[in-house]
Amino acid sequence: MLREFAGWLSATPLSRTLQDVLWVVPASQSVHIIALAVVFSAALMINLRLLGLGAGGRSVSQLVDTLVPWMWRGLGALLLTGAIQTIAEPLRQFVAPLFWAKMLMIGVVVLATAVFARAVRSNARRWDAAATRPAAARRFAVASTLLWLAIIVCGRFIGYTWAFYA
Amino acid sequence: MSVADVLAALQHSALASAVRGDAAGYDWLFPIIETAHVVALAVVFGTVAMVDLRLLGFGVPGSSVRRLASEVLPWTWGAFVFAAMSGSLLFASKASVYFANHEFRMKFLALFLAGLNMLVFQFGAFRRVAEWDARRPPPIAARLAGGVSLLLWILVIFYGRWVGFTT
Repeated sequence: MLREFAGWLSATPLSRTLQDVLWVVPASQSVHIIALAVVFSAALMINLRLLGLGAGGRSVSQLVDTLVPWMWRGLGALLLTGAIQTIAEPLRQFVAPLFWAKMLMIGVVVLATAVFARAVRSNARRWDAAATRPAAARRFAVASTLLWLAIIVCGRFIGYTWAFYA
Repeated sequence: MSVADVLAALQHSALASAVRGDAAGYDWLFPIIETAHVVALAVVFGTVAMVDLRLLGFGVPGSSVRRLASEVLPWTWGAFVFAAMSGSLLFASKASVYFANHEFRMKFLALFLAGLNMLVFQFGAFRRVAEWDARRPPPIAARLAGGVSLLLWILVIFYGRWVGFTT
């Protein structure tokens, strides 16, 4: 069924246009890389702070207030450019197990980040005063960093593995 | 020995052959190194963008540029070294091809200009950072350095991605 949907999607005028204009996919991928750089670096700086490894001069709530909005902006750009690439080459994404693994991990990490940011905002004073972060925050930091890394790895490897399933 | 000879020798080295996946068991080496390159450049670009955006006047009101730079830039440099090492391995695999590639050359021109821009800022406006550390917006020289840096790094990524489509 996915295969049929991919076939139908790639025959739509929109997909045809995106396929025919040679610079669309490379340009979209470039913006995708820039956006993932913003999201990953923002997540990394927050996570390092939670682990006590960096940005010591800044409170957790300050970091979350400054960086999480940039993560959402970057994520918007990632979804948009990802959608462009998927509409242009649907089969490449839909047949690749790594694509679905990537989507699942994005869902998990986005939800976890939203819950975490809410927790920090609703109780900023306690978060900033704590000498050591709660164990849950450290677990979040490790899981979030590993998930974003795995998402980047899956993203790059879709291009190298999809043909095995096509 | 000409440049072409050096590039050919590099490309024919055992290391370059391994990266290309010439021998059985090395098929995934190039994608693995390339992925490491993407992760490293993501940290380089993301952390540089944090400083550039602050120089342009975004970020926490009243926050110190100097402190942001000291917190973020060590990660930039660490990731840059990692990106340079993984990039060198990728380059070796097809040295002659990459060297002759227009997009590859433009990428390194943009990278060189980004470095130059950083030096000009470092020995220019940043020397008087104490006078404008928490000021918003920062002086025009600092805003200019931030804007130019952001633009050049975006070009580095665009040309870098384009190399993969033209080689």
